[in-house]
Amino acid sequence: MVNSVTSIAGLRSIPDRLRGRFREWVNRRIPAAREITLDQRRIFIFPSRVGLFFGLCLLVMLIAAINFENNLSYGLTFWLATLFVVAVLHTYANLSGLTIRALRAQPAFPGQQSEFHLMIERSKQREHFALYLKWPDSSESLVNLVDEDRVVVQLHMAVDKRGWFSPGRLLLESTYPLGLLRCWTWIDLDLHALVYPRPLPSTDLPGLATGTPDGAAALVVGHDDFYGFRAYRKGDSLRQVHWKGVAKGQGVLTKHYTAYADRSVWLDWDLFPGAGTEQRLSHLCYWVLEFDGRREEYGLRLPNVVIQPSVGGKHRDRVLKELALYGKEGRKG
Amino acid sequence: MNILQQVPRNALVWMVICLFALVAPHAGRLPVWVLAVYVLAVIWRLQVHRGRWSFPGRAVKVALIVSSCAGIYASYGSFIGLEPTVALLLTAFAFKFIELSRRKDAYVLLFLGYFICITEFLFSQDLLITLYSLLNVTLITTALVALHQPGEHQFNRGTIRLASVMLLQALPLMVVLFFLFPRFGPLWTVPVKSHAGKTGMSDFMKPGDVASLSQSDEVAFRVKFDGKIPAKSELYWRGLVFSRLEQGTWSVLGYYDVPIKERRANEVPTQGEPLSYSIIMEPTQQNWLYGLHYAHSNTPGVMHTSDYRLFSPGPVQVEYMYRANTWNGPVVEAELSDWRRKIETKLPPAGNPKTRQLSKELRASATSDEAYIDLVLDKFNREPYVYTLRPGTLSGRDTIDRFMYQTRRGFCEHYASAFVFMMRAAGVPARVVAGYQGGETNPVNKTVIVHQFDAHAWAEVWIENKGWIRTDPTAAVSPLRVELGLEEAMVAEGSFLAANPLSPMRYRSIPLLNLIRLRYDALTYRWQSWVVGFNSHRQLDLLRSFFGEISARSFATAFIGSWALVLIPVAISLFRRRDTFPVSPADRHYRMFCDRVALLGLKRQPGEAPGQFALRAVAALPESSDQLWQITNLYNELAYEDANPPGERSAEVLQKFCRAVARFKPDRRRRPEEDRVII
Repeated sequence: MVNSVTSIAGLRSIPDRLRGRFREWVNRRIPAAREITLDQRRIFIFPSRVGLFFGLCLLVMLIAAINFENNLSYGLTFWLATLFVVAVLHTYANLSGLTIRALRAQPAFPGQQSEFHLMIERSKQREHFALYLKWPDSSESLVNLVDEDRVVVQLHMAVDKRGWFSPGRLLLESTYPLGLLRCWTWIDLDLHALVYPRPLPSTDLPGLATGTPDGAAALVVGHDDFYGFRAYRKGDSLRQVHWKGVAKGQGVLTKHYTAYADRSVWLDWDLFPGAGTEQRLSHLCYWVLEFDGRREEYGLRLPNVVIQPSVGGKHRDRVLKELALYGKEGRKG
Repeated sequence: MNILQQVPRNALVWMVICLFALVAPHAGRLPVWVLAVYVLAVIWRLQVHRGRWSFPGRAVKVALIVSSCAGIYASYGSFIGLEPTVALLLTAFAFKFIELSRRKDAYVLLFLGYFICITEFLFSQDLLITLYSLLNVTLITTALVALHQPGEHQFNRGTIRLASVMLLQALPLMVVLFFLFPRFGPLWTVPVKSHAGKTGMSDFMKPGDVASLSQSDEVAFRVKFDGKIPAKSELYWRGLVFSRLEQGTWSVLGYYDVPIKERRANEVPTQGEPLSYSIIMEPTQQNWLYGLHYAHSNTPGVMHTSDYRLFSPGPVQVEYMYRANTWNGPVVEAELSDWRRKIETKLPPAGNPKTRQLSKELRASATSDEAYIDLVLDKFNREPYVYTLRPGTLSGRDTIDRFMYQTRRGFCEHYASAFVFMMRAAGVPARVVAGYQGGETNPVNKTVIVHQFDAHAWAEVWIENKGWIRTDPTAAVSPLRVELGLEEAMVAEGSFLAANPLSPMRYRSIPLLNLIRLRYDALTYRWQSWVVGFNSHRQLDLLRSFFGEISARSFATAFIGSWALVLIPVAISLFRRRDTFPVSPADRHYRMFCDRVALLGLKRQPGEAPGQFALRAVAALPESSDQLWQITNLYNELAYEDANPPGERSAEVLQKFCRAVARFKPDRRRRPEEDRVII
């Protein structure tokens, strides 16, 4: 009884096991790397569906040649068959020698699309056409390398969970020049997108974070004091642009608020008692964005992590990264 | 739509070119409306491309298909046979182009195009057609390549280059496959040409038939003798034997006209070495083959009739090659059966009374049948009979009487016909034989080219103990015809190919034109014998002469060896590492330098400036600091100061730089610090 159950379970898992085996084999054969040059170890080639259809057509032609005993029909059939053979080399050459380099992946919030940047570079002066790139769930891209030696490709892909998002193995395939053969590779570019926690609004910062070494207060209510106008600079929030002034033709001015140094905020892990880890991180994320929008200083205090209060895009990214990776293994650059 | 399914504009233009290129050689055989469909298809599809019209809906498509099927039925009278089938295929090809929207459709269209190339070969395997088909295959392949070049929004002539290169690389492989692939017979019967005009001799003959055939300069067949070519006056190519005369028309005895026990040809006792030759016939759509008297063929598929003709069970639809042996002077049909004697002496019950009377008188005055033949020939020779291509029409009753006594002008069939009539009227078994006489010897390759204007008719008479003897009454009237040919025989009349002023045969007196014509004919012969006429027998001969003995091993060796010989160089040319940019000597030496440093475990990072790299290298290899800086500085000077016009100075620096690199040989045993850190 027990035996039969296990054997059925064993049967059921055969495709899974095979898939697992295949994945292992591919992992061994094409290990992850930031930069991969395609060679015979990494390129697979097999007749495409069109190629099989072509084979069928050749069979019909051969039968016509046999039945009509027509030597030129034999000749044409053989010519197309050998064209297929020559196409193996040409299709293969379209991928061979290409270098794919992972450039960067944009961080994103869950549910958003992250943008992945790749670069494809050729190693010798030959034309490469119709290189099709796609991760299993990403957008697709079709590029040529004709006049330029390298091209940057952007692929978009929705991310879901907080932490490092791995897009999986990138499919690079091509059927150029004749479409009769499909030449492809699955490469792991070791490219990961950072996924921040999902921002979750909380009505108020529910408590006062105390016990900071420098005695800074954390309670922040309402808006900062309006300080004055200054000319718009690139990077200023559009929310702070004095639109009425723009409408009156006074030029683009930014409303400037003051944030007092002693009013810098500590976003503390302990601000949300009773909430779960993910909820806390989501709330913290929300407030990070909120303060960043107001251009106020804020710091972060998580168990084991302390980031001194500061302001600006770099600071925000650093804080968000800490939130994204809180409690996650394997920190990556 | 999936980005992979888009059809680039470049591909669309190439497909339009393919469309017209493919239909062009078929145009002559197609009804005009099919060509109109092609123009409509292209206009429609281009209007769709420009956004003016839309793709045909389902109802329109059904209407188009139904109406074109009806059109083909109306034009050909049936769907059976090769021509309607091909017309249907070509119409479908045009319709497919109208609805072409995705790459999938394009594959169907282009593969159909390859198939249409094959159908062209079913009609003609001519050398020129073949060359044209090469172009067509290249065009289709080009369209296939263009289909896989996304982003080509303009017509690009250069696309044809890759297609041609690939096809050229495939060509030698194809040749190997062509000669090695086993040939076997048809698997099932296939539609035959039902609408092609029959050419050459037909199986009945009225006065004037051969004369009209003589207006054509087309080639009937080409002969290659194994040994010496016999004299022209001996080249009587027997094709048809007319034993029956009814209402002024001579006709061949059909298979079922012959009693069963007479259907097999009698054995002919032959002696000595035969004269062997091979014949390649142009398609005639008829069943008879030609040979010298008495001919026997060992080629499978060639049959022998009871009147000693060569015969093909199926009509000769494409160029057909067979071999024949001829012996000189055997007694053919020593014993004449009663049935045969009756049939070969039979005349219509009435008509031509004067000729009948004359025959009886002449036979009575002769001592033997042979003496009687001489008397008749002598009459033709002595009396003012004229050999002419313009004999005038003889119609109504008693045509032979009128020819013998009034007009006395005739072409070979008049003389043969009158001669056989006179023989039969005197009770001597005789029959008319039609075929060709003579032929042009091509000095280029020693073949005999027999044209339609060599068409001829003569007679055979049966003599006791001698069998069937050839007698040519025309030779008695115009010996020139038999010895030199029709053109010389008609010099005075000037009627040779009078209706055919552009025929190259008329310009044989211009040496250059004649040489070109003969060379092309020799090429055609070679083409027909090696490619068109290649069959399992030729294949066996070829393989034997190549490998001695045919074994699976030699087969495989030839196959793999020849393919490797082609594919390996192709692979090398494709995969040879070449730098993207031409590398200057300075760069090459600097790379050498970097490689040497790398051996010590210190790799230059991509994009690292030479100066930065030198800093790292000096830190790791302090004792080589001078050398490292010297090389780096010289390289910088060479690489970044080339805005100055190159002169003595830069050449000097380069030399110095190269020498410095050559001298740089760091101690490999000494691993730099950084290396250890990395490990």
